[in-house]
Amino acid sequence: MSRYKLYFFNGRGRAEVSRLIFAIAGQKYEDIRYEGSEWPSYKAEMPLRQMPVLEFEGTKLPQSLSIARFLAKQFNLAGRDNFEQAKVDAVADTISDLLGKFIPPRFEKDKTKKQELMKKFFDEKVPKHLQNLDVLGKLYGNDGPFFVDNHLTWADLLFYDILETLLGIDENCLNNYPWLKQNRAEVEKQPRIAEYLKSRPKTPH
Amino acid sequence: MATYKLHYFNLRGRGEVARLIFAAAGQQFDDIRYERAEWPSHNAEMPLGQIPVLEFNGVKLPQSLAIARFLAKQFQFAGKDNLEQAKVDAVADTVADLMAKYGPTYKEQMETKNQACIQKFLAEELPRHLTNLETLGQMYSDGGYFFVGNHLTWVDLFLYDLLETIRQHDDHILVKYSWLKHNHEEVEKQPKIAAYLKSRTQTPV
Repeated sequence: MSRYKLYFFNGRGRAEVSRLIFAIAGQKYEDIRYEGSEWPSYKAEMPLRQMPVLEFEGTKLPQSLSIARFLAKQFNLAGRDNFEQAKVDAVADTISDLLGKFIPPRFEKDKTKKQELMKKFFDEKVPKHLQNLDVLGKLYGNDGPFFVDNHLTWADLLFYDILETLLGIDENCLNNYPWLKQNRAEVEKQPRIAEYLKSRPKTPH
Repeated sequence: MATYKLHYFNLRGRGEVARLIFAAAGQQFDDIRYERAEWPSHNAEMPLGQIPVLEFNGVKLPQSLAIARFLAKQFQFAGKDNLEQAKVDAVADTVADLMAKYGPTYKEQMETKNQACIQKFLAEELPRHLTNLETLGQMYSDGGYFFVGNHLTWVDLFLYDLLETIRQHDDHILVKYSWLKHNHEEVEKQPKIAAYLKSRTQTPV
């Protein structure tokens, strides 16, 4: 009976950063995945009728980034003191800002509008946010490849995950950002991450 | 001795939660406020060209929620252990979701001088968020009127200020949410907060 249960759809989405944290920590958990058709019958069990939700020793927590930060703290992947944790949080929020801009084009149903929004997103919003992340990596990274103080934190895992989705649409979007490219390469090299990436369920999102 | 400088506009907005935390902690800080006209000459000094920024012992930290969480941890308003902190963070993310919907609405109202968008927000968007917050308050509060664990945390302050702004449009928004109403009253009763609210710079947002 696991102390940790993660509830989400059968996809990466907003849950994957938490799965990456569990993977690198070598922590077992129940990876509960609901198909779209069964989700309505479980909705009322979730505090905000949304997922992901983490159930830890019986307490349910909504909100994907709060879940990720909690897990990171449990497994010493959050930053080593308050200020380091704050730098990690600032990087994570900046990655989240980028994800926030991706949502409208990602979920736009009208094909022509979607194409327009995607183009604007990749032409204007992506460079701006990648530039910001590049700045933070150089400001806080202490000359290492990880975002904060030369060791891997959940911010690196979040960046890895979000960019996986964006690179799937535009494989060149990191070309002008060698530091960011190298950061992802370092994450991928971690043995437990490499193993997890090979063995995880393959889903379109 | 630790030094704190907060850089923001001469507004409450995304800077006020940090100011409320400083007030609750009785902590001195440099409250730097930029008028709109002078901001362009300072924006290159900030890591992401944005404010608020906290300068802690000379190191700059962007992202309002990362700043708030850091300050809260410094002064013991973040939650007593990892799980409590996670509950606080989950509520804060839910408040941020509300702020993300209110912000553009407020901006539209300012630009069009039309109240219709505000009325629509109050009738159609706001209730869902208040219901979510009321749910979390009842779940995490341990029978009291603070959001988490029966003591003041930064999320009580965060919601307090946002609701003060929204209440300018309609003073009765909490009538159907008795837990939230009690929470709001509990925050403004705290002596250091009450004193700060009386003395702080009054701004529309």
